Amino acid sequence: MNHDATPSNTRSHDWKVHGYVAEYGDVDSLIHACEKVRDAGYTKWDAHSPFPVHGIDDAMGIKPTILPWIVLGGGLTGLLTAFVLQWWTNAIDYPFLISGKPMMSIPAWIPVCFELTVLLSAISAFLSVLVLNVLPALYHPLFNLERFKRATDDKFFVSIEAADPLFHETNTKSLLASTHPAALETCMEETKQAKLPIAFHYVGALATLLTFIPLALIYKARFAKSDAPRVHIVWDMDWQPKYKTQKQAKFTGFADHRTMRQQIPGTVAWGDDPDASPLTTGKDAAGNWINNFPLQVDAQLMARGEERFGIYCAPCHGLDGAGTGTVARRAEQLLAANKAQGWTRPASLVGTLEDARLRRDTPNGELFNTITNGKNTMQGYGGQITPKDRWAIVLYVRALQRAKFLPDADVPPELKDKLAGK
Amino acid sequence: MAHALTADELRQQTTLGEDASSWSNRLLGIGLLLLLGSAAYAFTGPEGSWRQFLFSYHIAFCFFLSMTLGALWFVTIHHLVGAKWSTSVRRVAELTMGSFPLLLVLFLPTLFSVMKGDDGLFPWVSHERMESSHLLHGKIGYLNPTFFLIRVALYFAVWIGFARFFAANSRAQDLNGDVMLTAKMRKLAPVAIILFALTTTFAAFDFLMSLEPEWFSTIFGVYFFAGCALSFFCSTIVITMLAQEKGRLQGIVTAEHYHDLGKWTFAFVFFWGYIAFSQFMLIWYANLPEETFWFRDRFEGSWISIAVFILLGHLLIPFGGLVSRHVKRNRAALAFWAVTLLLMHWVDLYWIAMPVLHEKGVEFHLFDVSLLVGIGAMFAGLWLKRAQGGLLAPVKDPYFEASLRFKNM
Amino acid sequence: MTSSTTTQNVLEQPPLVQGGLDFAGVTQTVVGVVESKETPKIWFALFGVSVILLLMLLGMIGHLIWTGVGVWGNNVPVAWGWPIVNFVFWVGIGHAGTLISAILFLFRQGWRTGINRFAEAMTIFAVICAGLFPGIHIGRVWLAYWLFPIPNQMAMWPQFRSPLLWDVFAVSTYFTVSAMFWYLGLVPDLATIRDRATTPIRKLIYGLLALGWRGSARQWHRYERAYLILAALSTPLVLSVHSVVSFDFAVSQIPGWHTTIFPPYFVAGAIFSGFAMVVTLAVPARALFNMKNLITDRHLESMNKVILATGMMVGYAYSIEFFIAWYSGNALERFTFINRAFGWYAWAYWIMVSCNVLAPQVFWFKKMRTNIPVMMVVAILVNVGMWFERFVIVITSLSRDYLPSSWGYFSPTGVDIAMFIGSFGLFFTLFLLFLRFLPMVAVAEVKNVMDQAHPSHH
Repeated sequence: MNHDATPSNTRSHDWKVHGYVAEYGDVDSLIHACEKVRDAGYTKWDAHSPFPVHGIDDAMGIKPTILPWIVLGGGLTGLLTAFVLQWWTNAIDYPFLISGKPMMSIPAWIPVCFELTVLLSAISAFLSVLVLNVLPALYHPLFNLERFKRATDDKFFVSIEAADPLFHETNTKSLLASTHPAALETCMEETKQAKLPIAFHYVGALATLLTFIPLALIYKARFAKSDAPRVHIVWDMDWQPKYKTQKQAKFTGFADHRTMRQQIPGTVAWGDDPDASPLTTGKDAAGNWINNFPLQVDAQLMARGEERFGIYCAPCHGLDGAGTGTVARRAEQLLAANKAQGWTRPASLVGTLEDARLRRDTPNGELFNTITNGKNTMQGYGGQITPKDRWAIVLYVRALQRAKFLPDADVPPELKDKLAGK
Repeated sequence: MAHALTADELRQQTTLGEDASSWSNRLLGIGLLLLLGSAAYAFTGPEGSWRQFLFSYHIAFCFFLSMTLGALWFVTIHHLVGAKWSTSVRRVAELTMGSFPLLLVLFLPTLFSVMKGDDGLFPWVSHERMESSHLLHGKIGYLNPTFFLIRVALYFAVWIGFARFFAANSRAQDLNGDVMLTAKMRKLAPVAIILFALTTTFAAFDFLMSLEPEWFSTIFGVYFFAGCALSFFCSTIVITMLAQEKGRLQGIVTAEHYHDLGKWTFAFVFFWGYIAFSQFMLIWYANLPEETFWFRDRFEGSWISIAVFILLGHLLIPFGGLVSRHVKRNRAALAFWAVTLLLMHWVDLYWIAMPVLHEKGVEFHLFDVSLLVGIGAMFAGLWLKRAQGGLLAPVKDPYFEASLRFKNM
Repeated sequence: MTSSTTTQNVLEQPPLVQGGLDFAGVTQTVVGVVESKETPKIWFALFGVSVILLLMLLGMIGHLIWTGVGVWGNNVPVAWGWPIVNFVFWVGIGHAGTLISAILFLFRQGWRTGINRFAEAMTIFAVICAGLFPGIHIGRVWLAYWLFPIPNQMAMWPQFRSPLLWDVFAVSTYFTVSAMFWYLGLVPDLATIRDRATTPIRKLIYGLLALGWRGSARQWHRYERAYLILAALSTPLVLSVHSVVSFDFAVSQIPGWHTTIFPPYFVAGAIFSGFAMVVTLAVPARALFNMKNLITDRHLESMNKVILATGMMVGYAYSIEFFIAWYSGNALERFTFINRAFGWYAWAYWIMVSCNVLAPQVFWFKKMRTNIPVMMVVAILVNVGMWFERFVIVITSLSRDYLPSSWGYFSPTGVDIAMFIGSFGLFFTLFLLFLRFLPMVAVAEVKNVMDQAHPSHH
């Protein structure tokens, strides 16, 4: 062991023998020497060359490395990661439709699966070669030899470590000598490891602490609550230069410095109707509700009104106009079951016997206006129903109102029998 | 390698004996019998037998054509890049590419039916069909029997010409060992590869793509080529292993060569997958009606199971199976994958062509087997006949020795 | 064999290392450049110009970010203008490096060793230039992290069905793998510089970078395995990267973009342009730093053969595209290609065809392949042609899409042009630094293909 092999050229008691190093000038001698050392049964020894020498693995008896298996593991991890990532993010957590493709668009996921497989395989190959080779290792006893510097240039070396169980001061040396090396040296190493300068510890500790700062900031950003408005480094379009109403404009192009501009002749303001007429407003020139029809009233208009009423009005107001459409009834059910609140019942268009008059006395124009612009919680239908159709609906509502409390005398004779039969 | 071959051993290992003669005759007999029998049934059998015959025959023809084209490509590339390792298997490729005249003869019935106006195989033969849509009307100038005849003649002229050129010079070298012959072949290789690329592309368009005359895909020539190269490497592995079973090519085609052939097979499994995926992905994603119908038809009914079978058997499973160097150096394992991939290549061609005939789903027919085996027997029989006329390896090629010594990294 | 002498004369190529160099000579030739105190004057001149261009690029990027992407010529209908053209151009350049280091390695092409370090460095710098353009093209660069699947306050995920996102993954994977591959190759050479170092600073810096490499056979064994695996991984990776780039166009429905041959066609074009760039850089560099014994005429000739071969592939794709556009019978397809060749952008199309298909044809002749001025001219023409190829693809198809009412002519702005020129500044700044401070030829690998490296008794 170590104390047996105390060479004569020990420079101080802090040094011990690391091993013997033989130098060769060409590849053939190196391989020849390696075969000899291999056959002698050494295990802790190595060859060194400036480039990978062909056939040296056999000559040294190096077993195939497990590196490919690590790479395989890395690759499969990458594949699985990519698949799960895409599946979870695009099909489960945040599904949305793109160009009619299924949520689980496997063909479209293949590129990313492929890339991540390659990426993780390559990273594991790269890290494995470092880890398995125990690199980085900036210090090695062999670096103490001046001669060894040419191992990365043009010379070839065989080193046998003193830690090898077969190592023997003279036998090992003579074995190496028998391979005709160009030089044979003893490699020394220090028994004590040099201490790391104290500054390194401080720097290391500080660096470790600093790495927590971004993590802490992210943690804070994700979980802390604050009422203060967010700091906008980049404003995007949240704030943009603009004038507010009733303010003075500094823009010299406006001589009157008013931010609110007068209407330009020939233009139409938003919401204005230059073609306003009783047909589109339900009002006469004086601004009073009209109570006639600005259209010709006939069976065709009535049929149209019935159809439009069925589409737009009946869901809430009901087919008979009594305010009991499907929507209303459903709302009542939810209210009764305490599953909804804040519902305003749709008005009965035909009213009860007592207030039927009131309803009937509403002018046509006002009814038309209600359909156009809405009332209470009812929205306006002006955008969906054309004026002519709105008038048709008014006509049909009139018919419903009339039919609701119809005096017997007004019932046509042919329908009387039918009513009685029912 | 255990030891260098002596001259006697070399002669013994590269010469086919009398046993090959009887095999060759037997194979030719079987082939003729199957082809004639099938043809007879095609004429006399129930309604639709003739169309079924045309399709099954065409698929079998394309299968062996692709293998032969692969061989021509391999020999050309060998000379183009001045490869050394492949010298010892190059003669096998040269023998395979000698099959072009046989393939020309085998194509005559199809050609005859096209010229006669039979639209049983190629729908574009029917004038009514071509006038039926705006898209088709535009390509009458290309898809018509006369121009088809001219093109086919041109393809075979190029193929037979170059195959003869390379094979003849290589054989001449067996006798005199003249280095200048290698130099001569290297000189012509660039021209050969360009003409090969063009003819193979257009042959793919004509023989397979035009079965659906509306459909078009710019990558289709490359797709067909990937199959050519793959089936060539697989067939070469099978042929050399059979030869070695019979005591030939031993010590000439070594584990190192199988390793490299295996690498090429692996590479082309991947390349085929890459090309097939590119074609599918782009058409699937853009979803244009004039293209996407081709895949829709091939996913219709039971065709989808064939498509999945191809995805697994032509790409994913062999990819995993061939990735290890131990598999590529193991004879039994490599033989298994070579045979499997040859079969899968046929399935691929079947999946491309047959949905035109059986739109609803897969319907296997006895013709699919009888014609494949029939053409295969003819192919193998004539292969043996050619092989008997010379040596099984280019023993006087300047790189023959280097090829025997060759070792993988 | 009796014919062996004739074989040597007729078929064999000259050796890869010339000038009778031995191992030490190779080391001295390459590492001597790094160690030399003398920097060629022309290096300073080129470096100065490059840095000025780089500063211009940085200024333009600042201007762009401050003002917005409106400073570019991009506008409807050509919303993808020069930035994407430059992106594809630079990514393509990068591909030659990976091809040389990976694919030629698998094909056992010994001549790659003279140029692979060089080409890999070029790859990394080109990918940096490429990554720049999509990075700033997103407009609000401070939101670039949206491209990555990072959990965020909006509870949104990237859209994995988009080819643009595939690009993010492909290009970043490509950069990472190329950088690792390059560094792994550098480690033994950095150790060589460390062991020859005469100044403590050099010893410290190169020593740290060399990671303590000591050329042990056990280390080489794992190193070679890892190198082979990285090569085997880079080969499909390099295919995938430019294929994914081509998907950016080809999955769309724009005539002239949507065609199935795009993936292999883009890959061939990328290799083509990359090799042209390697020749463009290698010829002056080897003259400047006396590398003619390592980057020999044979290396250049082999690269020119690759340029010819890939140029033919690109020509094949052009022709097949044209043929199928006619064969499809589709009026839009036909129009697009006729428009390319004879429309407003016909000038760009014919520049592309003459530079990419016609110019390399001179390489059929050995005299031309080995003639330095000729190959420089052809290589530069190919670089120009390949930029125009991307220009033709991007601009012609967009400027003439389905609706004639939205047709338009694209003109670049000064910022477009300045940024493109500036990207060369970035590239050459990095490249010149590399030439001066890192071994530009892979010393260990070159030694490996020398005759002396092979044991004779095996």
